[in-house]
Amino acid sequence: MVTIEYRNARVNLADQVYDPAEDSYLLADTALELVKDGMNILEIGTGSGFVSAVIKANRDVRLIATEISPLAAECARSNNIDVIRTDMFAGLKNGQHFDVIIFNPPYLPTSEDEKVPGWLNYAFDGGVDGRKDIKPFMEQVHNYLKPHGIILLLISSLTGIDEVLEEMRHHGFASNTIASKKCSFEELVVIKGIKE
Amino acid sequence: MDILACPVCKGDLVLNIEKEDTNEVISGTLYCSVCDEYYPIEDGIPNMLPPDLRE
Repeated sequence: MVTIEYRNARVNLADQVYDPAEDSYLLADTALELVKDGMNILEIGTGSGFVSAVIKANRDVRLIATEISPLAAECARSNNIDVIRTDMFAGLKNGQHFDVIIFNPPYLPTSEDEKVPGWLNYAFDGGVDGRKDIKPFMEQVHNYLKPHGIILLLISSLTGIDEVLEEMRHHGFASNTIASKKCSFEELVVIKGIKE
Repeated sequence: MDILACPVCKGDLVLNIEKEDTNEVISGTLYCSVCDEYYPIEDGIPNMLPPDLRE
């Protein structure tokens, strides 16, 4: 089994589960700047559990995560993440439980013939415009976020940063880009949204 | 477990524990009486996918 170490966290990886990459590191670093001891944290689509594991290794928080892939859920569980196998928020009770909700969605524009087989497709496939999962996320997230709670969303320039900011404003979130990193063919950004 | 809801109706669930350790449920079920549906907990992971989406 491959294990990586990053900022006090040891994270097991697994086949058919997204390996942490530049996006995961940027989101984990940015989350650590905002997450304080004592907070309630939710990560949607945790994958290997990397971002959650980095937070737990450095902050005294209560954290749960959701994940749709059975292989990724098992991997996250092996990394001591309390994971629920469900589609986004589906298996969670309505209620404003969380101080911070973190989501690294599948954000790459993906056509039918670009899909990859198996569960790994859930890690990449953002639909034709890259925003397939961002819209339902934004429609539901306010049901779970405390007043003045924060959402952290990682996307790429390929996803359409302006369109995502507009979607967030449409749902009543004051939003801005708080971190970015240029990679070979794209720019990765972390968008912070606060419910107004 | 107190944060979980039925993914179909969002209603409350009844927990049935088969195996647990000091701080968590390892296996069991969560039952929704409105939908008459069971959601399994296996290896410490609650599976809250609707039955038609479970593999």
